[in-house]
Amino acid sequence: MFLALRELRFAKTRYALIAAIMLLVSFLVLFVTGLARGLASDNASAVERMDASHFVLQQGSEHRFARSELSDADRRKVEQAGASEATPIGIRQFTVTHGGGDAKLDVTMLGVDPDGWLAPRTAAGAALAAGGGEVVADAGLQAQGLGIGSVVKDEASGRSWTIAGFVEGASFSHTPALYMTLADWQSWRGGEPAYTAIALRGASSETLQALKRDSAFELLTKAQAVSAIPGYKEEQGSLLMMIVFLFAISGLVLSVFFYVITLQKTAQFGVLKAIGARSGYLARSVKLQVLLLSVSSYAVSTGLVALMQLVLPDSMPFRLTAQTYGLTGLLFVAMAMAGSLLSVLKVARSDALQAIGGAAA
Amino acid sequence: MKTILHMQDVVHRYRDGDEARTVLSGLSLQVGAGELVAVMGPSGSGKSTFLSIAGALLTPGSGVVTIDGTPLSGLDTRALADLRLSKIGFIFQSANLIPYLKVDEQLRLVSKLSHADAAGAARRSDMLLERLGIRSRRRQYPDRLSGGERQRVAIARAWMNDPPLLLADEPTASLDEERGAEVVRMLAEGARTDGKAAVMVTHDSRVLELCDRVLKLQDGVLAPA
Repeated sequence: MFLALRELRFAKTRYALIAAIMLLVSFLVLFVTGLARGLASDNASAVERMDASHFVLQQGSEHRFARSELSDADRRKVEQAGASEATPIGIRQFTVTHGGGDAKLDVTMLGVDPDGWLAPRTAAGAALAAGGGEVVADAGLQAQGLGIGSVVKDEASGRSWTIAGFVEGASFSHTPALYMTLADWQSWRGGEPAYTAIALRGASSETLQALKRDSAFELLTKAQAVSAIPGYKEEQGSLLMMIVFLFAISGLVLSVFFYVITLQKTAQFGVLKAIGARSGYLARSVKLQVLLLSVSSYAVSTGLVALMQLVLPDSMPFRLTAQTYGLTGLLFVAMAMAGSLLSVLKVARSDALQAIGGAAA
Repeated sequence: MKTILHMQDVVHRYRDGDEARTVLSGLSLQVGAGELVAVMGPSGSGKSTFLSIAGALLTPGSGVVTIDGTPLSGLDTRALADLRLSKIGFIFQSANLIPYLKVDEQLRLVSKLSHADAAGAARRSDMLLERLGIRSRRRQYPDRLSGGERQRVAIARAWMNDPPLLLADEPTASLDEERGAEVVRMLAEGARTDGKAAVMVTHDSRVLELCDRVLKLQDGVLAPA
């Protein structure tokens, strides 16, 4: 403590420079992480928010909702396999018009049982009514000028629905979700095929095994369903690679910086050991410096990111939760501490003998 | 007179390529409290090896080293570090102060390492700096001090924990005659008034008259010069 703090005070410029690098890197880590989380939510929140563990799709649909078509007979088959909590859903990406047919919107239509466990929990307005003719929409649509009572229309079939309420964070493949009743969905799509998929929860492993063996179906977990959304894997993969590289870079930069500084101070560590400082004390001093630098740079960069979030447009997919802040910070500091390892080893090996004979400067 | 540093039949060899070179061949030395002993010798005669062994920095090939009644054999690196901290004060050739510590912090570091209480350390540091005439420089970094001032800080640092043994490695090498004599006089007075044993390796013959005994390191043993 004594040595670590006084050295930071003495060599302000040197340590301020490395702190600035750490600050920029951690800012970038947080920014890319926020973007990754935001895009993930923009891409898959409608599926992620579903309280389902598995989805049953048609065989050959290759995990894509868009390719799956199931009949009512399929639904009964799934129930016979022992899935007590199975509820069918319809998912279709579509273009609707609103405001009297002038404005077009790309949306994802979701047909759900209004009384079932996949029914959307509305944050504003009314819940999805069994009567039909109404939809519950992603709250993001409010920014497009839609409100409760607005009408959206499918020009091809001539059907229209009135927005009854809004849900927070429900989008699919970067389009806002519109929930309608399954009955509406079926009459709109023209009867058979009735559903896109069947969502399961609380299914026993025997049931899951049976469904997996069934050649008519594909069984996938929620995570598989999410990563099969077009573009999801590619988006998340490239952002994750950036994050991993940033972590590696921050660890390495710190490691090199402290290693060079430690090399410069080898003679000094020899003197300190000669006058009776233990290796552990000196190593702790180096580790404390790394800890101080990484924690303070991270703290400042969280502040900067929070400020930046105020300026970002609402339409920008950017999401950082307290949990993500905490986890990223822990990783960042852990990476920095790992980077100090090389220096700590060097300190442990520096030889007090160097102090004798005038070799030390 | 109490014996502080006791070295008996110390032998030390270096491996120099394929051949082993004997640096110390049965060296013996006793230094008592209140005594300043000068050790002379040409370069390469093993002065640094002798000082490293006497200072518990290097374990000899064979022989016995006892400091203030504690035999060094069998102590591990941590115990040796603790012994250096409490029993030995080092004064190095070029002062070797820590560049980022102010003068009084150089001294307080030593008491910090031995977990001494801060108020007592501050009093002792003030007293030592006053005694060595550098109290007015106590808030300066080493790079603002002259060579003589730096060496006086190094002496104060060596005295800080009140160790029974002082070891000085050519403390006058980087000083002019007047400053060099001053530094050695301080060492000699310190040894006498506080009852410390002091050993100074030097080849500065101008300061020998200030020492109680002058020994010569030759052929791996010490003999009166």
